[in-house]
Amino acid sequence: MSALSYYLEREGILTTGISLVRENTVSLQPPRALWVSFPLGRPLGIPGDRAFQHKVIDTALALLMREKGPVLEDFPLDAPTVDMESAPACPVSFAKRAVSTDSWKAALLSELQTLQTWQDLGRRRRKGRTLVGVSSLSMQENVEKLGQLLDDKVLPASELDWFKLAIEDAKVFYLEALTAQPGDYNPEQLQSIFWKETTMGFALMKFYNMFQEDKVLSGFARIVVPRAAIDGPTD
Amino acid sequence: MVRLSDLPDYEREHLLSKNLEPLGPPVWNQLTKPVAELRVALITTAGLHFRDDPAFEFTDSTFRPIAGTEDGNTLVMSHSSVNFDKTGFLEDVNLVFPIDRFRELEAEGKIGSLASVHYSFMGAGLKPSAYETSALQVAGLLKKDKVDAVFLTPV
Repeated sequence: MSALSYYLEREGILTTGISLVRENTVSLQPPRALWVSFPLGRPLGIPGDRAFQHKVIDTALALLMREKGPVLEDFPLDAPTVDMESAPACPVSFAKRAVSTDSWKAALLSELQTLQTWQDLGRRRRKGRTLVGVSSLSMQENVEKLGQLLDDKVLPASELDWFKLAIEDAKVFYLEALTAQPGDYNPEQLQSIFWKETTMGFALMKFYNMFQEDKVLSGFARIVVPRAAIDGPTD
Repeated sequence: MVRLSDLPDYEREHLLSKNLEPLGPPVWNQLTKPVAELRVALITTAGLHFRDDPAFEFTDSTFRPIAGTEDGNTLVMSHSSVNFDKTGFLEDVNLVFPIDRFRELEAEGKIGSLASVHYSFMGAGLKPSAYETSALQVAGLLKKDKVDAVFLTPV
């Protein structure tokens, strides 16, 4: 964000915008930035809250009227967090299961079948909006390939581009299923369910460990599983 | 919240590793007309694009255009980082790319107009200076579109 702001301003275009990590903005000094205390991934604060989003935008646009810079302003409001107790219940009960399985492919396909109805429901609730589809393959095809790789105990060394898009499709497919019902969800709770209860979460953790152990591909592990799922608290 | 004091050590250390020196001497343009007369473009670094666009690669300084007439709800995300929340974006594209909010500002006369085309980058894995070439290309495109100001959102 700061780099683009710097280069565009240097070309004569006024820039303003949001900073999510204040310390990074202090160091890079873009011309104008509004720091917000919201979680990474939520620069406008609250999904679906038009009035709140306009407050953020208005405050950032007002920085254009300052006479000198660089300007780094702090937005005065926090975004409310959702209590885990008040979030809608997960529609699917994932049986606590061993990390290993006789057939990852069969287990993943079974889980996909269970979740499909809920993902459909979630998509309808969002008026057709879905984030699934960055991969050119269907969910069924991706899940089959991912499961087969684990059953064969091999990494997709020659298909890393496909692998990354396939797992990102899988993650958002699960999120869409887990949030099928209307309501405010706690993102950390959803992440916990995905990484600690679903077969897909276990499967991706298995891939993470396989990448970690590979001398050539170890750097790829960090874009499979988030730091919070690796280094965060355990139950 | 992204107050570093609220974050666990592993997250704090990672984010602080992104503290870097400024890219050059300070740059600054003075506003020469009211905000209500500005032509504004949105730029996101969230790795957004349409399904028929090429996805972003693991490290990627290129950009994807987002035509101003498109429905933001058809955007998808291929950001390589896995360390931010996607559930909010799933519920509301405006949380990351506030296109509907800016259409409202345009309709209310609070900005002059919206650009014909907005732009999406993927901010991850590269030093800030790696974006210079693409940024200059976008600057040229924005000038052709007579854009006065850009509103930037990270993710």
